[in-house]
Amino acid sequence: MGFLTILKKLRQKEKEMRILMLGLDNAGKTTILKRFNGEPIDTISPTLGFNIKTLEHRGYKLNIWDVGGQKSLRSYWKNYFESTDGVVWVVDSADARRLWDCARELHSLLREERLAGATLLVLANKSDLPGALTSQEIREALDLDSIKTHHWRIVRCSAVTGENLLEGMDWMLDDIASRIFTLD
Amino acid sequence: MSDRNSVLERLSRRDAQRLEKLQKAHKAREEVDASNENEDFFSGSFKIKSEYVEDLLMQVPTLELHTLPSHFDNIKREINELQKYVVTSSFFLKEFNMRKYLGMVQNLQSKCYELEERYVPRKKFGFSKKKIPKSHTQKQGSLDDHDGAGKNDSNKWDEKLFGFDSQENKVLLLENDELYQRDVALRNLKNCTIGLKGVMGTLHLTNLENCIVLSGPVTSSVFMEKCTNCKVVAACQQLRMHTSTNCDIYLHVTSKGIVEDCSEICTAPYNLYYDDLEKHFNMSALDRGSNNWDNLDDFNWLAPDIPSPNWSILDDSQRIASWDEYWSKTPS
Repeated sequence: MGFLTILKKLRQKEKEMRILMLGLDNAGKTTILKRFNGEPIDTISPTLGFNIKTLEHRGYKLNIWDVGGQKSLRSYWKNYFESTDGVVWVVDSADARRLWDCARELHSLLREERLAGATLLVLANKSDLPGALTSQEIREALDLDSIKTHHWRIVRCSAVTGENLLEGMDWMLDDIASRIFTLD
Repeated sequence: MSDRNSVLERLSRRDAQRLEKLQKAHKAREEVDASNENEDFFSGSFKIKSEYVEDLLMQVPTLELHTLPSHFDNIKREINELQKYVVTSSFFLKEFNMRKYLGMVQNLQSKCYELEERYVPRKKFGFSKKKIPKSHTQKQGSLDDHDGAGKNDSNKWDEKLFGFDSQENKVLLLENDELYQRDVALRNLKNCTIGLKGVMGTLHLTNLENCIVLSGPVTSSVFMEKCTNCKVVAACQQLRMHTSTNCDIYLHVTSKGIVEDCSEICTAPYNLYYDDLEKHFNMSALDRGSNNWDNLDDFNWLAPDIPSPNWSILDDSQRIASWDEYWSKTPS
């Protein structure tokens, strides 16, 4: 048994996943993380640096990294890529102005070698706001259909109401699990 | 004697139990249908599946161009399935065979990519066209600067924008129901006064010059970009300011405000008043009791013990005490 096999088995035992939450600033990454973790969401400040939460869900141990999306922080995103199982890309559905920015950042992210094989979940957040774009419009704007290198899905959700957050996460966990925990 | 007998009896009983258990286990093993969980069965069905994929690959040169993308998607799906099949069979495959099969899958995969590269010249998602700096007019055009494909789309989204765009020397007002929980945008405005009497979801201020913005409560964030010489009176949960200079912000912020690539920003406490303000505050659910107007985070200044040079607190003597007269006049 090689060393890698041992490592793989160890990891399987713990059922651990590493999930990276990225997206432009003001997309709602921290709010989603806090909502997912059942914390209050009314006192969230723009993220200066990153937040990490470890939580249990459906028997998996999730390490979720929420890295700030301000322009000056985006160059640090790459420090968090290593051994990432899934990327949650959070989009502000009500912010049509910056969708172009958003598409560009997403596609440059997907070219990253260290993220090869990671599952991509696009959360179209703030879909409860009047004037929010539909997930189909965002799918077109972000040119998601051109993505062949990653398993991806787009889910419209709202961090404030909690709508669809779990559904999105569950899809991602299933997809990751089918890839890395194939023994059970 | 009786001792010996009882021991013997116990032994034979134990033996019988053991045999029975063995038999049960044996039977149980046979009952579980594992006929498809052996290497022979696997190699057979793997062969069928991989040949199917190869057939699909062989068809590529004969197909019409427009059907190719979906054909390749199909192939990739099949290859993916095949890979999954190998991996899920790992518990009965020998290590060596497992690698052999994975290698074969890999071969199919690279063959598929090769063919795709050759027959479907992929449209790259391009950013080749860089924004051309146009000195002063650059800001004006920045929202429409996108290259080809992006341009139509961005126009399409523009219809959804709610607010004011490209105006000069005007007094602009939006009230109540029109604003309620909307994502409101003000952009490309010059020498304007903008009154927003209502509860908004988000407020975006982009490329404003010499403007006064008088805003009621904003439930989530106020987002400022490329603003110069402006006075903004706003209440919100978060304030995010980018690339702006020389602005005074009369602020009520319940969590935190941040500045990034900004300079000469001054803050003062929120002091707007209009008739329904109290009502609007209640509707927005902003906490009037918590206001961090005097504590901004600067993303370009991370030394905690030295205050950022990019923003400061507006001196009492320079603050505008009442906005009543400003509602109806353009800034001088």
